[in-house]
Amino acid sequence: MFSIPTFLESLVPLFWAARYTLLISVAGIALGLVIGTLVCAARLSPSRALRRAGAVWVSFLRGVPLLVQLLVFYYSLPLFGLDVPAMVAAIVTVGICASAYISEIWRGAINALPRGQAEAAVAIGMTPQDVWRRIILPQAFTLSLPALINELILLVKASSLVSVVGILEITRASQAQAATTFRPLEVYLAAACIYLVINLCLAALGRYLEHRTAV
Amino acid sequence: MDLLQTYGPALLRGFGVTVLCWALGTLFGMTLGLLIALMRHYGPRWLNWIIQVYIEVIRGTPFLVQLFVLYYGGPLIGLRLDAVPAGLLGLTLYGSPYFAEIFRSGFRAVAPGQIEAARAIGMSEPSIVRRILLPLSLVSALPALVNFSIILTKETVILSIITVPELMYQVSRMSAETFRFVEANLVLALFFWGLVETISRLGRRLETRITKHLLERT
Amino acid sequence: MQASSVEIRNVSKFYGPFQALRDVNLSIPPGKVTCLIGPSGSGKSTLLRCINFLEDYSAGEIRIDGRMIGYEAPGRRMRGRALREMRRSIGMVFQQFNLWPHMTARENVAEGLIRVRGLSRPDAAGRAADALAKVGLADKMDNHPSRLSGGQQQRVAIARAIAMEPRLMLFDEPTSALDPELVGEVLHVMKALAGEGMTMVVVTHEMGFASHVADQVAFMERGELVGVDTPGRILHQPEDPRIQGFLRTYHERNSF
Repeated sequence: MFSIPTFLESLVPLFWAARYTLLISVAGIALGLVIGTLVCAARLSPSRALRRAGAVWVSFLRGVPLLVQLLVFYYSLPLFGLDVPAMVAAIVTVGICASAYISEIWRGAINALPRGQAEAAVAIGMTPQDVWRRIILPQAFTLSLPALINELILLVKASSLVSVVGILEITRASQAQAATTFRPLEVYLAAACIYLVINLCLAALGRYLEHRTAV
Repeated sequence: MDLLQTYGPALLRGFGVTVLCWALGTLFGMTLGLLIALMRHYGPRWLNWIIQVYIEVIRGTPFLVQLFVLYYGGPLIGLRLDAVPAGLLGLTLYGSPYFAEIFRSGFRAVAPGQIEAARAIGMSEPSIVRRILLPLSLVSALPALVNFSIILTKETVILSIITVPELMYQVSRMSAETFRFVEANLVLALFFWGLVETISRLGRRLETRITKHLLERT
Repeated sequence: MQASSVEIRNVSKFYGPFQALRDVNLSIPPGKVTCLIGPSGSGKSTLLRCINFLEDYSAGEIRIDGRMIGYEAPGRRMRGRALREMRRSIGMVFQQFNLWPHMTARENVAEGLIRVRGLSRPDAAGRAADALAKVGLADKMDNHPSRLSGGQQQRVAIARAIAMEPRLMLFDEPTSALDPELVGEVLHVMKALAGEGMTMVVVTHEMGFASHVADQVAFMERGELVGVDTPGRILHQPEDPRIQGFLRTYHERNSF
């Protein structure tokens, strides 16, 4: 029988564990934005070598399952003498993985701008730096906001995988609780509910931003 | 070399399970997705509403948690599944809303005039679906279908966490016994990279072939 | 205001094996309006875009007030800085307006003044307001482009160009993307500009404008400049059969 009290009781500690889920996803996307912007710049640069390197970076990270990436990074960091906490390793992995997708989001948005936008700026004599800073990037950012929010939603879900390296985020916390209460159905459904609430909120935020910035 | 002798067969079996799970999961997921898309297209409003909730729930929760609910929670409501069938069911459910959305936008890409023309000559609704709607929408939906099928190959590794004996599971076992965590996972990463790149390439070729075929026939 | 002159000599342009411009020669005198007409794909827009080097040309030279644009010497590309210097005094108006959607009308006009002319923000805002008033949009300054009609957007684009105080204005089919009832307001602004003695090069399908405002009309076909003369000679007594054919089609399409 499905026990509603058990379900409700497990919501509280899982909500508490959600702060790690959010920390990993938000820190992950922040790191992903930084690296992703660099990767995108490399992919659009005039240097052939940089373009190639960017393409390989994206192809590798998109081709390898996140779980495998996570274990590779997690186990190989100590080899480089980096004795980092599991949490940092998790954030770095999630961020690196997100960078591949974010660089593609940027690239798509930049390519989606009509050519005339830059031409109008070039025609009045703006420098290439100003054309990027004032005309292309602000518009690309607005265009890609919904996709970036979507990426954040993906990261919230993907962060469940860091449970395998022992971080007590929602999924790991629910495993622990299922083991002590012997009520996996209620506990895991409670976990699912919390993920759902987080993601529905993010999706609503995304729609709001999209609506507000639609000029 | 000893390692390969000891673990080779297990890895090969693991790869077989991965391919099986992926192929069946994609097939079932696509089928369920198509059914969902058709129900949304033709079904009554209330059904559409239920489907909407189903889609939001599946898309809003991690695949891993869905698997836990199915595999560990299932027995509590009498759903006793072994790891492999549970994993397959999980993949099917997980993929279905994405496939459904792909089909749905494919349907929308078909010009209304095409359907009206078929109705005007008196074709029945089922044959309109079979002969006009599906072939035409497939043309525009194909790249996304191929793309999502490729994404599903990567999701299969998550099945290892509920002890489905696929490739990642075997690699984890091997690395736990030999303590070669880095090498084992790195090789697995490279393997997946190669696999995904290869099927992407094959997928693009298949796409152009099928598109050509569909357009020439219709 | 000083007006520029443009000398186009033996200009050719290739896109791969396709020749878009064939040995074009054209003199554009200062303070005069030159209209480029011809069927679509004839190279008029390409020629116009070569004048401010948005397109490079493969052979020949284009000189503005005697200085070649795009190249220091034949075959040697101009540096970005020098090119920007020259473009500062060339205004351009595009078929699709190309207003920046994330800025208001006034910000669109002020942007170049701030970034390129180095004006302070208040000075630029003042100048932008003057330019917008000149094209009759003083009351629309704080609207984003999406809140303006096509005709209004194109007038903002003209204001953006004239605020930079150019000595030469290029118009690339400025009314082709507009609904017929909005064409008049844009042509009106252009006519006023011509009256001030601005050098203007206008690619257009508006034969009425060409006939009334242009000092000279150039007809192009297949990348070739077929003829240049006064509007009367080109539009009313054309000798070349290609021009006659083009005008016949034009009249047939516009008669009812």
